[in-house]
Amino acid sequence: MIHVSDLDKSFGQLHVLNNISLDIAPGEVIVIIGPSGSGKSTLLRCLNYLEVPDSGSIAIDGEILTLHTQDITRIRSKIGMVFQRFNLFPHMTVLENVIEGPLTVKKTARAEAVKKGEALLEKVGLADKRAARPSQLSGGQQQRVAIARALAMEPAIMLFDEPTSALDPELVGEVLVVMKALAKEGMTMVVVTHEMGFAREVADRVLFIDEGQILEEGSPEEFFRAPKNERAQAFLSKIL
Amino acid sequence: MGLDLDLAYIIRVLPLLLKGAVTTVELAVLAIIFGTLIGLVIALAKIAPYPLLNILGRIYTWVFRGIPLLVQLIFIYYALPAVGIEFTSFQAAVIGMSLCGGAYIAEIIRSGILSIDKGQMEAALSLGMTYAQAMRRVIIPQTYRRLIPPMGNEFISLTKDTALVSSIAMTELLRQAQLRAAADFKPMEMYFAAAVLYLVLTTFFTLVFSKLESKLALID
Repeated sequence: MIHVSDLDKSFGQLHVLNNISLDIAPGEVIVIIGPSGSGKSTLLRCLNYLEVPDSGSIAIDGEILTLHTQDITRIRSKIGMVFQRFNLFPHMTVLENVIEGPLTVKKTARAEAVKKGEALLEKVGLADKRAARPSQLSGGQQQRVAIARALAMEPAIMLFDEPTSALDPELVGEVLVVMKALAKEGMTMVVVTHEMGFAREVADRVLFIDEGQILEEGSPEEFFRAPKNERAQAFLSKIL
Repeated sequence: MGLDLDLAYIIRVLPLLLKGAVTTVELAVLAIIFGTLIGLVIALAKIAPYPLLNILGRIYTWVFRGIPLLVQLIFIYYALPAVGIEFTSFQAAVIGMSLCGGAYIAEIIRSGILSIDKGQMEAALSLGMTYAQAMRRVIIPQTYRRLIPPMGNEFISLTKDTALVSSIAMTELLRQAQLRAAADFKPMEMYFAAAVLYLVLTTFFTLVFSKLESKLALID
């Protein structure tokens, strides 16, 4: 479903992604972990071309990403993205945030978009907040709205860029619950996170990235029990 | 010496001055409307991901912000007819002030857009929006409230700058005062009254904009 080959990316002197190749199957839940600055967020952001790699290629459903506007907007509409800082649209209500994508991108009829939007808010447990502004919500609620907003496009893939890192500890759980439910439904997910519990419980495969390279990958059982790579061992001993 | 104003005279010529003041307000309003349209286009050109547009935008600002408005007005009204482009003084005034105002307004709008968190554009793009859709639906609507204070300043500047168009035979407030002052030998009365009227106009607009600002602040 996602095919990444020989991805390279530098920011000035900094070599953030170093020859990364990766295949992700439909329905797979991939958790990417690694120290900060390791390139994991950049890799994720390359998958929908928010970050354009210097070389290498990414194919989604067999279609190679380019910057051609029509192609990239169509592909992006199939890939939901959830950001660390939520990035909800502050000038819109919760419901307007959720239906904005279908209305503007898919030209869905308003009544239909509203109906689906309300169902999604129900799903993330925020039906009663439809008329609220993002600024009136807690971080956890905002992130759940952001997930609903991404799901409103009916994506085939969901990308999560440290979705709980900006949250107070007591709000992390409610977001993880939504993500777990999504994984259970068979959504293809790529998640950059520091939530090792989530990785252990939900991931089909864990990737450990450092200095722009995938240093280790495997099932969560293998990875957490006995990481082979030295840096992965050091990282885990610090974080667990 | 002593300052004894002929108040009866001022009251007598006031209707004439008010007529000039109406022209002044018309000019300022038209200039802010067209200037804002121009400014929006130039601002978008300057930040668009296309180098050619960036350069065109910069050239625009360079020219229309770099040449004094008075020179631009005189050029449009007195020089362009030499190449067959003729405007009435009112048209020339609106064009000159809009072009010049547009250069300043472009900078206001540009900085407004740049002040929006870049995560907003990323969120819009990740939904599958084009750059233009993201600008129209997500970025620009968020700038409105931030634009009110600097746009208020710009509007008041434009109101005052309308005095410059008296130099291209436009009978707005200042020109009206000049004509009467010369005819009646009452410079103190006429210019005093004109100065007060400008102050009344700018005070009025200042109040309107601060009202607008607090109203929009409530919405957000």
